[in-house]
Amino acid sequence: MAVTTRERPRARARPRPQPGVLAPGAVRWRPPPELSLRIAILAGIVLVAFAALFLRLWALQVLSEAQYADAARNNQLRTLRVPAPRGPIVDRNGRVLVTNTVGSSVQVWPSDLPDGREARRFLLRRLARVVGVPAADIERALAEHTGGPATPVTIKYDAPRDVVTFLSERQTEFPGVVVARSYVRSYPHGSLAAHVLGHVGEVTRRQLERRPDLRAGDEAGQGGIEAAYDAFLRGRPGAARLRVDSLGRARSQLFVAAQPHPGHALRLTLDLELQRAAEHAVDYGIELARGSDCIGCWSSNAGAVVALDPRTGEVLALASRPTYQPRIFAGRVRPRALAAAGLTADHAPEANFPAVNRATAGLYPPGSTFKPVTALAALHEGLLGYADSLPCTPIYKRFQQEFKNWDPYVYTAMTLPTALAASCDTFFYELGYRFYKLPPDRGSPLQEWARRLGFGERTGIDIGSEEAGLLPTPAWRKESFDTELDRAWKPGDSIQLAIGQKDLLVTPLQMTRFYALIANGGRLVTPHVAADVEQPRRNGAEPSVLRRFLPPAPRTVGVDPNALAIVRDGLVLATHESFGTSTAVFGAYPVQIAGKTGTAEKAVDGVLQDQSWWCGYAPADARPTIVVCAVIENGGHGGTAAAPAAMKVFEAYFGHPAPPFVPRETD
Amino acid sequence: MFVRSLDWVLLATVVGLVAYGLWAIEGITRYDVEGDRNYFVVRQALFAAIGSIGLLVALVIDPERYRRHARALFATAVGLLLLVIVVGEATRGSRRWIELGSMFRFQPSEFGKVLVVLFLAAFLASRGRRLSQGRTVAAAVGLGFVPVLLVFVQPDFGTAIVYLAVLGATLFFAGVRWAHLGVLAALAVIGGGSLLWGLPSVGVHVLKPYQEDRILSWRNPGHDPSGSSYNVDQSIVAVGSGGVRGKGVEGATQTNLDYLPEHATDFVFASLAEQRGFVGASALLLLYLLLLWRGIRIVSTAPNAFSAIVAGGIVFALLTQIFINVGMTMGIAPVTGIPLPFVSVGGSSMISNLVAVGLLEAIHVRGRLARRH
Repeated sequence: MAVTTRERPRARARPRPQPGVLAPGAVRWRPPPELSLRIAILAGIVLVAFAALFLRLWALQVLSEAQYADAARNNQLRTLRVPAPRGPIVDRNGRVLVTNTVGSSVQVWPSDLPDGREARRFLLRRLARVVGVPAADIERALAEHTGGPATPVTIKYDAPRDVVTFLSERQTEFPGVVVARSYVRSYPHGSLAAHVLGHVGEVTRRQLERRPDLRAGDEAGQGGIEAAYDAFLRGRPGAARLRVDSLGRARSQLFVAAQPHPGHALRLTLDLELQRAAEHAVDYGIELARGSDCIGCWSSNAGAVVALDPRTGEVLALASRPTYQPRIFAGRVRPRALAAAGLTADHAPEANFPAVNRATAGLYPPGSTFKPVTALAALHEGLLGYADSLPCTPIYKRFQQEFKNWDPYVYTAMTLPTALAASCDTFFYELGYRFYKLPPDRGSPLQEWARRLGFGERTGIDIGSEEAGLLPTPAWRKESFDTELDRAWKPGDSIQLAIGQKDLLVTPLQMTRFYALIANGGRLVTPHVAADVEQPRRNGAEPSVLRRFLPPAPRTVGVDPNALAIVRDGLVLATHESFGTSTAVFGAYPVQIAGKTGTAEKAVDGVLQDQSWWCGYAPADARPTIVVCAVIENGGHGGTAAAPAAMKVFEAYFGHPAPPFVPRETD
Repeated sequence: MFVRSLDWVLLATVVGLVAYGLWAIEGITRYDVEGDRNYFVVRQALFAAIGSIGLLVALVIDPERYRRHARALFATAVGLLLLVIVVGEATRGSRRWIELGSMFRFQPSEFGKVLVVLFLAAFLASRGRRLSQGRTVAAAVGLGFVPVLLVFVQPDFGTAIVYLAVLGATLFFAGVRWAHLGVLAALAVIGGGSLLWGLPSVGVHVLKPYQEDRILSWRNPGHDPSGSSYNVDQSIVAVGSGGVRGKGVEGATQTNLDYLPEHATDFVFASLAEQRGFVGASALLLLYLLLLWRGIRIVSTAPNAFSAIVAGGIVFALLTQIFINVGMTMGIAPVTGIPLPFVSVGGSSMISNLVAVGLLEAIHVRGRLARRH
């Protein structure tokens, strides 16, 4: 008890350990003066930190609110391009050559595809099954896409309705897959005028560099009218907005922010019916060539026909064979279809280069169709008097060389018109020799005249893909060859050039332009295909012309009208006299047609083959309104293939059927 | 007596913070769980309730007890951090959580913070005059680095920084000499620099590439919109677009359309700023300022060195978390995944922060009672 009583008061007396006070025995702790300093520093740090936070908050929320509010809005808005329908292309009478079909296309937005490689592959495989496009094709389209991940890749044009419905109902299962409206080029007349029209395809790198209005992944005209007048045809795409969440899933309906402006209609100078006739004409010429017995003609499969209005240079028809179906390029292009049609570099040779427009880019020796050039040049240079006669014989000899006439039985003197009509080679050999004999200070007048008459340079036609041809001169020879023998301009060069042979190369279009010059009295026209840009017809109202294309005015080249009259006489005789080279074809036609045949030798795979030419115009006894040139590759004589082909165009143009004819082998 | 000695302003501030946080979370997570707009608020309220009990428990326990059992506390902290590395659930490449059933999980590093503060305070307070010796400081730093490294390898870079801040704060308030503090600060700068720039330039990557990117990207936001700076860019847009009055719950597109990542946890402040504007965000910051002010007051009224160090460590840990979290949403601090105290969705953080407040209150009460005697 005592112990306890003694202990209790002691326990009481001892100060009860206060919470927080140090253990018994320890001195009560007092904050050292330094602690206050350190606490003050902590308070300072707190104030500085909060000042920074408040200032930043103020800067973001009060000072820059508008900027970030915009950023937040743009975050959720995805802008889609609403394609504008491309303008139609119509012929001179307003008949449709190219238009569009409206369809639904399936697009993939690469940025919205699932991240994981497996998930992505799974999705694409599933999509492939749904739309019926091989998964490999989709992967390749994505890999080749140049527009960046935030632009769509179209993997299927013209998707069937059930596919569209299926995808629209399962948007969440196909992230990054969108169904959009699309316009696909359609060609109601198939391959008609394919080379003139060109096609539409994804923009090339070069187009992107030159045209700021284009963006990667856009469609643009490739070749022909579609490329040359792309700016008028393409229209202006509109914009639609869509609210999306951070995974790119749509959270709202599409709303249109800017209406697309459809492209304008383009009216061409082509005449649908005449174009069709011209294309049939080439086919007909090829058929005639194959039926003839000339060497290599059985395999003839190419040619070109050009019809111009000689007064203005308007292209009425422009046909090239072989051709292709431009719809191969419409929508999703299948490489296999391109290859099968010979439209890839690898497969072009076996199909004889169907993509080449032979009318503007085909290079041929012109043969006798060139003789009027020689005649005009000789008359102007005083190498031949207007009434002079020269002998026409089977063989022309110069410098121990023999130059053959196509007709081995002729012995007579001829004036120029007769020589043109009979296409006498020796007559022109002599002219060629006279050009060769001119003193060097006279230059090369034959070539200079040829250049003035439009050879050796591009005609400037507005559909591009044109060749300049080759006009051989002594200077060209010197530059282009290595050995001393080849570098020299020899008599044979001049003599052969006079009949349009050896190195000379022209395009059918150049030749047509030259005959237009003969027909229109000496003016060189600029061939053109586009007539005007129009607001498309709406509700039956007449289309309104927005812009008319005026080609450069025909250029007078300084040809003496008398010289021209002599040449024209010769061309009329050539189609009407008994000795004319194409009288059999044109002589009985009710409209007077004048023109010249040509049989040009060209080395094809080491064998000389005849390229069949005919160029001429009508009506020859009034003001000519149409000039036609036809070339049938490996077609034999001008009178057997090209002349009957050209006749088909005149038939369609004048509406009179031609009387039947018996093909004759002439020059 | 005891009750009257409480810091009622601090308590009211914390109640206000928790309530404000719940209100904010209600708006921020309204569309996160389909069909249950209150899913996160209910959970968060439950955690706040558990945390309040923790606060009360911490309040009635005399802090001196922790001091006596400091080694056990340290062992517990290290043990938990080791455990999480062994059995932790990996989420997005890091092991931070231990699963408790299917509904809850537990983040040891949050509780570890409080335990580490208590241990370091006890260690330093018991050294007294020997604190001026470099050896003592080195020992404290060495011990403090154990949990720092354990958190760092989870990896949880943000929390590791908070642990470092705790270590620094305890040394600072224990009265370590300025010269030693200077040396440590210099070492920290050199260490941080070599971690971020030095070692990567010679091909040694201690940090994960994404960590490097994130930390470096806050220096130039917008440099890679789809990559490492995406989160910050979107967060800044969210904050800025909130404007003065906020866009409201319905209009907060950055939050609702998921442009703002982690908008209920790491980037909760950006969401709050988007929905409630400058007014709402400033209110939260003012509450934090009040909390820290009361905390600093408690440091100065602490009854002994141990308590002062504990209070200082807690206050500085809170400051670090608040500044880094709020700063990163506005692009003025590196992006590291740490929760915003009392607001971010997450039980471990809520409970441990409330327990920490309980500790502050316990120190306050005992400091006041001691002075009365």
